[in-house]
Amino acid sequence: MTVVDPEPGAAVTGQTPVVPVGVGRPRARFGRLVPNLVLIGLAFYFIAPLLALARFSLQNVPVILLNFSTLFDKWSLGGVLRPFEDPIFWDSLTLTLKLAVGTVVLTLALLLPTAIWVHMRLPKARGLIEFVTVLPYMIPAIALVAGIKIVKPHARWFLDSEYSLIPFYVVLALPFTYRSIDAGLRALDLRTLVDAARSLGASWTETVLRVLVPNLRTSIISASFLTAAVVMGEYTLARLLLIDSLAPYQRILVGKDSQAGYGLNLLALVFTTGLFALIGVLTRKRDRARDSFAHRTAKLAHSTETTPA
Amino acid sequence: MTENGTIVAGGPTTSAVPRARRSWAWLGVVPFFAFLFLFLIVPAISVFYNAFDTAEGLSTSGMQEAFSGQNRSAFWFSVRFSAGSAAIGVVFGTLLAYAAATATRPRWLRSVVSAFSGVAANMGGLPLAFMFIALLGRQGVLTKVFAQLGWDLYAGDFELGSVPGLMTVYSYFNIPLMVLITLPAIDGLKPAWREACANLGGSSFTYWRRIGIPVLTPSLLGGFLLLFANSFSAYATAAVLTDNSMIVSSRIGFFLGGDVNLGDASIGFSLAAWMIVITAVSMALYWIARKRAERWQA
Repeated sequence: MTVVDPEPGAAVTGQTPVVPVGVGRPRARFGRLVPNLVLIGLAFYFIAPLLALARFSLQNVPVILLNFSTLFDKWSLGGVLRPFEDPIFWDSLTLTLKLAVGTVVLTLALLLPTAIWVHMRLPKARGLIEFVTVLPYMIPAIALVAGIKIVKPHARWFLDSEYSLIPFYVVLALPFTYRSIDAGLRALDLRTLVDAARSLGASWTETVLRVLVPNLRTSIISASFLTAAVVMGEYTLARLLLIDSLAPYQRILVGKDSQAGYGLNLLALVFTTGLFALIGVLTRKRDRARDSFAHRTAKLAHSTETTPA
Repeated sequence: MTENGTIVAGGPTTSAVPRARRSWAWLGVVPFFAFLFLFLIVPAISVFYNAFDTAEGLSTSGMQEAFSGQNRSAFWFSVRFSAGSAAIGVVFGTLLAYAAATATRPRWLRSVVSAFSGVAANMGGLPLAFMFIALLGRQGVLTKVFAQLGWDLYAGDFELGSVPGLMTVYSYFNIPLMVLITLPAIDGLKPAWREACANLGGSSFTYWRRIGIPVLTPSLLGGFLLLFANSFSAYATAAVLTDNSMIVSSRIGFFLGGDVNLGDASIGFSLAAWMIVITAVSMALYWIARKRAERWQA
């Protein structure tokens, strides 16, 4: 998995047009030529590899014969369906899904209380925490795995299990997940929300679970999707710790049955792309409906009247 | 970014009570730090410990060995393709971000570019490698198109695992990543600055020379460092594209993979220690550059 900034704020600033074209000298007619050429060239660069992978996986034609004359020959879904017939695929998928769920749960259990606490009680520590959450960028997966290999003989009771990957995956996803939750908390008027809830008689647990968590819904969902995407595509740790999760299987399958292997990689690509696209949609929605906290507090005020705190 | 009330919540207080409360407040982040310590810091420290722990006790000989001979040329190789693909990412990412930010005609262009960048910047690992094998591998679709046009891509020493090959592949996530970094920076260029420059008699060139480029510089430099670290530490893509162990990350994987004897693994640990040093320095500088860049992004 690549290191990435999801940049949750980008969508917020997204709407403002920047440099007015008319200001300054009138542009020559070919003024847009260069940008347009750049755009067309880049569009080709980004789309062509996808199409090539689609041909490799969706055409029942030997790879050697995949040229222009066979462009329309024998397209079929065989390549993307065949992996599902392999029991080993199901084993690796099940394991990966378990790892993903475990990582999401542990991430939320660790980050939600910490992030809320920091925003409420330790605002001064925000910079420090933010810095700490980019540490996984400084210690890349391939170096982390070296460390795990060293520690392993001293903690076999834990590190021999496949599920011991979960905390390390939490760490790998941390830069994305923390930023997502932090951005959600920044968008809230936390102090007012908490004061309102508390003065209406809600306990701390109630405040967190019934006021803050619903308000952070979008952040929580996008953090979970980001985590899932990281886990589903993670290769380095799994391969070098010899754990049979999905990504190592994707590579093995290419060696065994290349068309099915390419098909599985195409599916993985489509799946992660879908997750990231969903995150994008969700984040944009949140920014539009940001004033919902007043509505929620009002609702809570209403419900605490009827239920004893 | 949005400011909210929490920052001022404490307010200036003089009594001893808040101080006592503050010392309690730190306890709330202990689980988080303990977790990071166990699962990130301990492995990282053990890498350094093992890199320095040699047969003759603690010494730098392992670290020196990991930086000589074949290992040294691997570092040189990795630095070249990482810097190259970071440079491509900076140039085209900035151009793309600028084109998207200033384009007026297709209204959807900007949102498509930023949404796509969010997705493609995360595209790494195996699927990326297989996409490019399908496009530019020996039997790649585009390779054949080139062949029909009379250009044999593989006539020279081109390979997806070579410096130009890796630069081509890694740009696929580096360019979008740069777009994500520079879009807010380009948004931070206020139209008023351009107007002010024009009013004072400055040309478009003056604007870029005196205002645009200086304001964007921290973002561009920071972006370069992030992209560099990103390419330098990538393992999965490189491991699929080539089995040559000229790439530092592949080399670490090679020494660690399977059940090699300990002598070999120790070179892997020293290489990993060097990798942490290089990525940590780049990322720390990126952090500083980013803090400077954020000054203009209100």
